[in-house]
Amino acid sequence: MPLLVKARSFLRNLLLSRGVEADLDQEVRSHLELLTEENIRAGMPPKEAQRAARIELGGIEQMKEQVRDVQTANWLRSVVSDCRYGLRQLRKNPGATAVMVFTLALAIGATTAIFSVVYGVLLRSLPYTDANRIMAVFEVNSQGRWSHLADPNFDDFRDQNRSFQRIAKYNNDVVSVSGAAQPTRTIVAAVSPDFLKVFRIQPILGRDFTADDAKKGAGPTVLVSYGYWRQDLASAEDLSHAHLKIDGAVYSVIGVLPAEFRFPADVDLWLPADLQGENPSRTSHNYYAVGRLRNGVTVEQANLDISAIARHIHETSSEQGDYLLKDGIVVPLQDSITGKARPALLVLLGAVGFLLLVACANVANLLLAQASVRERELAIRSALGAARGRLIRQFLTEAFLLSLAGGGLGVLGALAGVSALAGLAPENLPRLDSVSISIPVLVFAFLLSTAVAAGLGAFTAARATSGDLRKGLEEGGRGQAGSQGSQRVGRSIVAAQIAITLVLVVGAGLLGRSLLKVLEVNPGFRVDKIITMDVSLPWVEDPKAKVGQGIFFSNLIDGLKQIPGVGKVGATSGLPLLEGGLPNGMFLLMTQNEMPKTPDGFGSLGQQKERLGSADFGVVTDGYFQVLGIPLIRGRIFDERDGPDSPHVAVISESLARDRWPNQDPIGHTIQFGNMDGDLRLLTIIGVVGDTHEYGLDAPPQPTVYVNLFQRPRPAITVTMLSDADTRSVTSAARSILQNLNPEIPAKFQTFSQVYSASLGSRRFNVILTGFFGITALLLATAGVFGVMAYSVSRRTREIGVRIALGAGSAEVLRMVLSQGLRTIFMGVASGIAGSLALTRTVASLLFGVTATDPLTFGGVTLLLVGAALLACLIPARRATKVDPLVALRYE
Amino acid sequence: MNSEPTTLLQGTLDMLILKSLIAGEMHGLGISRRIQQITGGTFVVKPGSLFPALHRMEQEGWISSFWGDSENNRRAKYYRMTKAGRKQLEVETKRWGRVSWAIAQALQAS
Repeated sequence: MPLLVKARSFLRNLLLSRGVEADLDQEVRSHLELLTEENIRAGMPPKEAQRAARIELGGIEQMKEQVRDVQTANWLRSVVSDCRYGLRQLRKNPGATAVMVFTLALAIGATTAIFSVVYGVLLRSLPYTDANRIMAVFEVNSQGRWSHLADPNFDDFRDQNRSFQRIAKYNNDVVSVSGAAQPTRTIVAAVSPDFLKVFRIQPILGRDFTADDAKKGAGPTVLVSYGYWRQDLASAEDLSHAHLKIDGAVYSVIGVLPAEFRFPADVDLWLPADLQGENPSRTSHNYYAVGRLRNGVTVEQANLDISAIARHIHETSSEQGDYLLKDGIVVPLQDSITGKARPALLVLLGAVGFLLLVACANVANLLLAQASVRERELAIRSALGAARGRLIRQFLTEAFLLSLAGGGLGVLGALAGVSALAGLAPENLPRLDSVSISIPVLVFAFLLSTAVAAGLGAFTAARATSGDLRKGLEEGGRGQAGSQGSQRVGRSIVAAQIAITLVLVVGAGLLGRSLLKVLEVNPGFRVDKIITMDVSLPWVEDPKAKVGQGIFFSNLIDGLKQIPGVGKVGATSGLPLLEGGLPNGMFLLMTQNEMPKTPDGFGSLGQQKERLGSADFGVVTDGYFQVLGIPLIRGRIFDERDGPDSPHVAVISESLARDRWPNQDPIGHTIQFGNMDGDLRLLTIIGVVGDTHEYGLDAPPQPTVYVNLFQRPRPAITVTMLSDADTRSVTSAARSILQNLNPEIPAKFQTFSQVYSASLGSRRFNVILTGFFGITALLLATAGVFGVMAYSVSRRTREIGVRIALGAGSAEVLRMVLSQGLRTIFMGVASGIAGSLALTRTVASLLFGVTATDPLTFGGVTLLLVGAALLACLIPARRATKVDPLVALRYE
Repeated sequence: MNSEPTTLLQGTLDMLILKSLIAGEMHGLGISRRIQQITGGTFVVKPGSLFPALHRMEQEGWISSFWGDSENNRRAKYYRMTKAGRKQLEVETKRWGRVSWAIAQALQAS
């Protein structure tokens, strides 16, 4: 096995290098002794014999060197000596070395940190067995949007598909849970029985759901998360007595899931869906769906399969209309989770990549400047017989030392950076918990450093060793000819740097201006001084019980008004700016006389297009409008006249009034919106209020119908309190008021400013990061311009001295140096603008209120960059005018 | 006597060393003397060529080495041929046969 022998001798030569040397030494000595002995036997006197032996042996050191040369580990030893030499070189210029290492550390660290986010969120596969086989399934509605699944549609998908091993539906909600340690608001998922089997997850304790658990009327059962089991169930091994009161019903705990399983995100309890039976409507979209593909089935095949089933439903269903599905779609679960975050993260990765390029350009310029100082050294080494390859290797080695030092420091910085990023990241960034400096991220950082090293090393080596090296000697060390070329290269690098920086800063500027534009948007409501309180009561069917819940909320609101410092108090089914928003549906314009006798009669009314309207459905109190400062435009808002038994009323938003009743007064019209809450009583429109940007400042206001919480009670609401008092004291007062009314109901508090701020989170995140990258790149590029200009002036000291001696004024010298700098700047800016025009389209989806070619941003950034670069030229240029011709001519 | 460039002789030297080790294990000086003997004194391998060749061949796996006692009880490094070395010798011998035949032909032709 020659390979094995080679490997063994390689290791021996490398690791036991001293032993190998001693061995060789001894071998040579024994050879000498044998020779001497031979000579003595041939009859020579001992001294003579020794001498002859030495002569025959020849030059011992040369021979040893030759032996070392054939040893396989020799190249490595020469690498070590290259490194040693490289380190000496780097130590010679500690300032420049520190700058280069720091620059690289900054860039590699920033790139690594961003990559760790991209890797954790987008690339790392979900923590399930064969996670890439798990798909999300959606309905596609008539507008081409993806939507949740209706129960009968899911059943058809499940029973008719030929692509999935298992397919399950689920949804999640925040509900009140009591019976464990203390009442909590917990995220609960309702799932169909195959849910865990899709993920191939088994309970670590107890059992999974069976089909029987999900049957209508089955005894309520629940699976708990590992964390919930540890915290709220005290890690009880025996689950037979573990019961939880969830939403008013008692559930038996049948199993505990593994710690790593938390899907959907942050869920603690999983219950069987549809214990009250399925919803027979094909247009009530209540569930998500996940499925595991059969072996050998591709995503495309699954798509064709599901799409065919969906289109069959679309053609045959009796529930025709905009809310019936039109098609179905299958996407990998991971993409469906992270899809929204993808464009912004990729833009950030691109931005940090640009920063890296700018940083590398600076380092390349510094290395180049050093290399031209080293022309003489190279010439000597080359004259002494060093091959060009060996010199190139020397440059590569030095670049590697620099990059690895920079990369190492950068990774340390990235460790801090990642936790900073996690703190800065918007709350809605999915999978943030899987972002860390993991092995793949470290591998990335190492490969990145290596690539940077290879690039820098190859570039400087190619520049420094091109042409006739020995010329360096003839020129007596001035190296003027070679450096002309390298200065030209240096200036091109700086121009490229300016171009890249311009693209980066323009991108950051566009994002920044978008954020400003978003902040300028009038949301339609006030944000400050509002404390919110999430409360949810158990779900009830009975209309009387519902009215009771309305009274409960009324009492709660009255109680809260007594808190010192609290002014108005209101309540809503959904706060603006929170993800999800209000439910959306179709309402019917109709009068009491047109009320059909049977529910089916609504179907034929729904066929008449002129009766239909689409709006969000909000359940609020009169106080809600007052607390949020949503202005009344016409009519009135709810008041004490609008009790549970009086005619039901609605307030609509301005945009709905404008779109649905153009040139008419909507007040007095009646609408049917019972499909949202099951209450078929007509709603009389009594007022019009201002529009609100419910779905975020950057989304247009949605037409909205508001109904009165006291007429149309619902179990889960958010109370809003306008308060001048300290948030903490209001919170604890409110908590005890709720406790007094019902000790089993938990509440969650927040300020509305927090909600507002979180809604801008991802925009702010993008602006802060790209801004940071942009400013850093700008500083680096300015330093680059300064470096190249200063170097050029110092190399031209003699020439400038001659010019001044011949009568050039300082204005002319200034103009000469500046014009050279300006040419470089102009080249960079021109290509930067061209690049920006081509590249800013990639951020178009992240912009708001500005176009990707916004002239103001382009102009401003160009001015900023030209200004900074000119300033960087000015200092060396002024120094050039101060050159004393006498000193300059004696220079060198 | 021989002092021609090693590049020309490299393959040949390897072959001669392997050939000399056919008889059994030998130390460096022994190999050198053996080559001198079997080539009728035409080739005298100097240590400066011998040792690099031995070390290189050891790394190729053609020969292996160990420390032993010489006939006069001196410590000396001994070399012995490996299986791979035997194969290499066959290859070299064949190649050399072709080359020497070809050169003899060429010289006769002129």
